[in-house]
Amino acid sequence: MPMLTNILRKKPALGPGMWLFLGLFAVLILIIPHITGLTTTTLLSRIYILAIFGMSYDILRGYTGIINLGHALFFGGGTYIAGIMFSRMGATLDILLLAVLVSMVFAAIVAYIMGQFAFRGSGFTGVIACAMITLAFGEIGRHSAETLREYTQGADGLTFRVPLMFQDRVMMYYYALLFLIAMTLILRQFVNSPTGRVLQAIRDNDQRAKFLGYDTKKYKLIALVIAGMASAAAGIMFALLTRFANTELLTVQSTLNALLYTIVGGTGTLYGAIFGTAFVQLAQNYLLELRGIHEIFSRWLLFFGAIYVLVVLYMPKGLVGTYLQLEEKWRKRKIAA
Amino acid sequence: MHIFLMLLINGLAEGALIFLMAAGLSIILGLLGVVNFTHGVLFIWGGYVSIWIFSMTGSFPIAIIAAVAAGFIMGLIFERLFIRPVYGNVTAQILITLGLGVVFTDMARLFWGPNPIPASRPEFMDGTWVIGAVIISQYRIFLIIIGILVAIAINYLVNRTKVGMVMRAGIQSPDMVQALGINIKVYFAGVFAGGAALAALGGALYVPLVGSVWSGMGINNQILAFIVIILGGMGSFYGSAVGSIIIGLTVAFVSWFYPPLTVYTTVLLLLLVLTLKPEGLFGMAVRN
Amino acid sequence: MNPLLKLDNVSSFIGPFHILQGVSLEVYPGEAVVILGRNGAGKTTTLRTIIGLVPASGGKIILDNVDLTAMPPYNTVRQGIGFVPEDYGIFDALTVEENLLIAMLQEDQETLDRRDHVLELFTDLKESYKRFASTLSGGQRQMLSIARALVNDNKIILIDEPSKGLAPIIVEKVRDTLLTFKQKKTIVLVEQNFEMACAVGDRFYIIAEGQTVLDGTMKELMDDEELQRKHLGFVTA
Repeated sequence: MPMLTNILRKKPALGPGMWLFLGLFAVLILIIPHITGLTTTTLLSRIYILAIFGMSYDILRGYTGIINLGHALFFGGGTYIAGIMFSRMGATLDILLLAVLVSMVFAAIVAYIMGQFAFRGSGFTGVIACAMITLAFGEIGRHSAETLREYTQGADGLTFRVPLMFQDRVMMYYYALLFLIAMTLILRQFVNSPTGRVLQAIRDNDQRAKFLGYDTKKYKLIALVIAGMASAAAGIMFALLTRFANTELLTVQSTLNALLYTIVGGTGTLYGAIFGTAFVQLAQNYLLELRGIHEIFSRWLLFFGAIYVLVVLYMPKGLVGTYLQLEEKWRKRKIAA
Repeated sequence: MHIFLMLLINGLAEGALIFLMAAGLSIILGLLGVVNFTHGVLFIWGGYVSIWIFSMTGSFPIAIIAAVAAGFIMGLIFERLFIRPVYGNVTAQILITLGLGVVFTDMARLFWGPNPIPASRPEFMDGTWVIGAVIISQYRIFLIIIGILVAIAINYLVNRTKVGMVMRAGIQSPDMVQALGINIKVYFAGVFAGGAALAALGGALYVPLVGSVWSGMGINNQILAFIVIILGGMGSFYGSAVGSIIIGLTVAFVSWFYPPLTVYTTVLLLLLVLTLKPEGLFGMAVRN
Repeated sequence: MNPLLKLDNVSSFIGPFHILQGVSLEVYPGEAVVILGRNGAGKTTTLRTIIGLVPASGGKIILDNVDLTAMPPYNTVRQGIGFVPEDYGIFDALTVEENLLIAMLQEDQETLDRRDHVLELFTDLKESYKRFASTLSGGQRQMLSIARALVNDNKIILIDEPSKGLAPIIVEKVRDTLLTFKQKKTIVLVEQNFEMACAVGDRFYIIAEGQTVLDGTMKELMDDEELQRKHLGFVTA
């Protein structure tokens, strides 16, 4: 499947078959809400939005080599900010714009402060300190949401209304799709920019990037701020979709979800997050349907953790990465033969 | 004054529990170079196993021993199957141990149900001493004594035994230890399992203190333990002991005066130390 | 006579890099063999591959009829190899005494006697016996590292650049030490310092780009300036 490979490698060489395939695929994506039920439509909307959460993590893990265990803070923060503002100030478009503004500022500031502490060290101890500090920041977020009951309803979760134009499930599907496309283009622009290339140099060899004269801490901060903002934006979309926020969104588990989307899909590929999110969400849905057969299938986290561990151990490049690797091998063999 | 004394004892007891987690984490980090996020789940399993065995035997000592044994065995399995393939790869270690944490937390829910299970203190320790206006819980004193005993035992192990000699040498250069005819992997496995057993002991002792066991109790204690090892200096055993006392006292005092601030205070303390003394209070003992 | 140590077309990788690409050498009982070559040629890797710290990916390594090729390092050493690495490999968090103790494969009377004998040889170490090794100077570390290789009844001792980074006066001391126990021990010496190599070595091997390219007696090399220029990039006056 050379054409799939070309798309994944980001340098599409489009033949006629390719155009046909892409065209059919695009049409399918566009008409899906009209040929399936609301459940599927909502599930797909969910995948589109969560894919950006995953992609924002790929900026960190895949492109910069950072492990951020408090990444849920941005996503959950976006959802909560939107939710609190809708429920306190009314569910209108103006408020939505304000919520977007507030959560972008929130994400940027929190990311900046988090990074200031998390990126102090370098090498082995630096990675560890970074993991632990981001974990602590994430816990502060979760803890705050739990204790600031007046605003967040604590552990019960916050239910809220959203602006009228987002209440229709089918329309919401198109907004989510638009969001996915727009954010993917923006993030792709970012990783292919000169800044993005420096990030990859840092990922490959932190020390060498430093010797080359790059202020690695500054670049890591940029990556975290961008990833944080993208993640918060996904959080707002998630609020519009689910009209509900609870502290689950802010837990380490939530961060691990994003991590799983990117590592299943393939880190450092950006698009991998879309495949990963789709795979994980569909698998979760499928397993829940099997619940009737045996109780074990309702233990999603058991499967989640198992997939996660196995992927890290045996498929560190994820679905997309592994495919590209195998394809490369086949190609070489063909040339050799 | 009597409040101060009470909080001091509460704090030291809390510190002793954190120390059981932090000591193992710190030594594993120093010798194996492994960041272990399974410590929280070992803590949970220690708690569950102990009350499970306690409900069957009615014996507190047997329950504790069972928890420690369970922790040790889980540690051996984790090291062999999941840690060994990723020695030297910090990122993979973080990811894998986090994943194991998810799996085994959920497995605990599967075995023992999602709701908290009440636990009682052993009768012989449920009492209190009243000295003047001060009421002292005997169980907390017991915890402090356990903490001190474990610290003395580890100190002896590290500084006075052949095992400790290999551990100190291995922190600097595992390769050179091997080049002297010593199979360091055996020591790695032993240290990992030992740390796991200590975490399980911590969980088993924590449950009677708070009165119940639930699957969410691991993460908070794990974070406190992480704060301790950054505070004390990664890989430094003495650092983890002193750090545990500092965090234990902080938690006790802050949660007495204004509980919601506890988490913020501990994290603030961590950030303060990182700003003023990034290598921790006692310096790092980790090879880079 | 059979060689004590024999490497037959040994190759090994460090990560993705193919470092050794066919090293063959033979060391006979009682002799001192010097491994020469430019920086990065694979001299240190040769020693580390013999020990097993770098696993051999091909070829054969035989010590006294025992096949070491696939053995883990803690076993190869137990077949009778003493290893003195480039950076001395001294443990800072151990005392001088403990640094010797950790190296002792047995704690029988013979080993203890050997240790006492070694300490007589290195008086510096005896003086700082109970101190932590972190307080030792570079020269003292080198002595301790050599002492450590002598506490066991080793068949062969591998020494990696003993003169590197040491002051000339200390280098002389190290050389004298090597000459003393050269009488009784088989030695493989990696050395950049040509004077040291000439003083200690009986025979030489030259490694270039991971392969043994030349061998002969030390005397032949000393007399042949062309050879020195070609393989070592320098000439002795």
